[in-house]
Amino acid sequence: MPDDVIVSARGVKRRYRMGEEEVWALAGVDLDIRRGEYLSIMGPSGSGKSTLFNMIGGLDRPTEGAVLLDGHDIREMDVRQVAYVRCRKVGFIFQTFNLVQVMTAEQNVMLPMTFAGVEDAAASRRARELLDMVGLGKRYDHRPEQLSGGQQQRVAIARAMANDPEIILADEPTGNLDLKTGEEIIRMLERFKREQGKTIISATHDHKMLAASDRVVYLVDGKITDIKTRDQLKISTGVIADRGAPSSAQ
Amino acid sequence: MPETEKIAILPYRKVFQIAWQGLRIRLVKTFLVTSCITLALAFLTYILVSNGLAAQVAERASEALRQRLAREGLLEQMLSPEQRSQTAWMLGIALMISFVGIVNAMLISVTERFREIGTMKCLGGLDSFIVKLYLFESLCQGVVGTLLGMAIGAALAYAEGVSRFGAEAWSLLPATALLRTLAISFLSGVGLTVLGALYPAWTAARMEPVEAMRNEV
Ligand SMILES: Nc1ncnc2c1ncn2[C@@H]1O[C@H](COP(=O)(O)OP(=O)(O)O)[C@@H](O)[C@H]1O
Ligand SMILES: [Mg+2]
Repeated sequence: MPDDVIVSARGVKRRYRMGEEEVWALAGVDLDIRRGEYLSIMGPSGSGKSTLFNMIGGLDRPTEGAVLLDGHDIREMDVRQVAYVRCRKVGFIFQTFNLVQVMTAEQNVMLPMTFAGVEDAAASRRARELLDMVGLGKRYDHRPEQLSGGQQQRVAIARAMANDPEIILADEPTGNLDLKTGEEIIRMLERFKREQGKTIISATHDHKMLAASDRVVYLVDGKITDIKTRDQLKISTGVIADRGAPSSAQ
Repeated sequence: MPETEKIAILPYRKVFQIAWQGLRIRLVKTFLVTSCITLALAFLTYILVSNGLAAQVAERASEALRQRLAREGLLEQMLSPEQRSQTAWMLGIALMISFVGIVNAMLISVTERFREIGTMKCLGGLDSFIVKLYLFESLCQGVVGTLLGMAIGAALAYAEGVSRFGAEAWSLLPATALLRTLAISFLSGVGLTVLGALYPAWTAARMEPVEAMRNEV
């Protein structure tokens, strides 16, 4: 595996059983994701985006095939190693935000650091820095129910960044947000890529959210049908320049 | 993968801190669940203690009290086989109410938090952390709810005892018998609470995170 590949999916299949019926949510996916790229997984609802997302982040195991993270097969890790990956190597962002409802914004951001063994004082300091960075400086003590969807997602982003992971995995991060808020979220992710060299992997079914992508993987019925680079995208859609994406990329 | 790339096990102090905070924030729910436990235990303790009192009358009551009870036809009634079977019934029902009430309350309060369990696993929480978290939470609720319920139940039983048997009721039940009764109540209350919480928490903790998040009811 070349050094600049951070995630590698090899013939990944995932079968779901629903009674007698079998569904192949992923029907053999091969994909190399490069360190520091912004990769979008594009596909209609039910095409297997979330399933692939779960495989990459170690939230689920493939029925067949393997996912290598930094060259390590997730299937061969023990529970504490998988937990380490989820905690330190990957930051998750979900469509439904998934904040812990009984915790304040600050405590939500502190949680992954607590799991990583960071002391409270240091974790609190970093949590506040991160919340400042996502523009929630005045909302440390708000609980999710006291925040708007966009604000909750920004807390989730701060939480995903807590342990400075190499990879940010986002499953339809803008799916429950209005267009403008959604674009802010995408711009934020793009900034992490540009300024901190994060690898961003984001699933979406919305063309308008592709602007920041370096590459777009098209998924249909659990199979990759096409992979487009930023340049190919520009030509085929023409919307990217209008959206103010930085022209400096590649 | 290097040995260092493993998640460390959180110290108990930290888990307890998180559990305690959750209980505080969900104050209303904590209160409701705890009062379920209190109610069940008040009933159980009441039945246990008042049965104990009645059973002791035949053996330990003073001559004066016996004669009064006999005059009123109460003594005979208390010793009758019908009364005995009714007592057994009441005990069975009390146990069942406690079991169903407590286990149900805990089951619901944990299963509605499957998403939270899944989320915590996504952030690096170990299965053992989840189990400990719910162990602490349910222990807190179990101990408080049980003690309250026992106090209420015993108070009711003695109040009734005093009204039937006079001041003698206080000394009817030997300390060891009373202690044994209270110990049974305490252990059933706390035990059922912890079991009712740990079973679903353990189930959720063992699931893959996505599965737990999807299984929310
Ligand atoms: N837990 C599950 N049980 C059964 N089928 C599932 C489950 N999760 C996903 N699927 C099926 O797998 C396919 C892909 O789902 P998913 O990855 O969620 O798609 P997407 O995220 O692109 O909308 C769908 O057909 C879906 O119905
Ligand atoms: Mg999805």
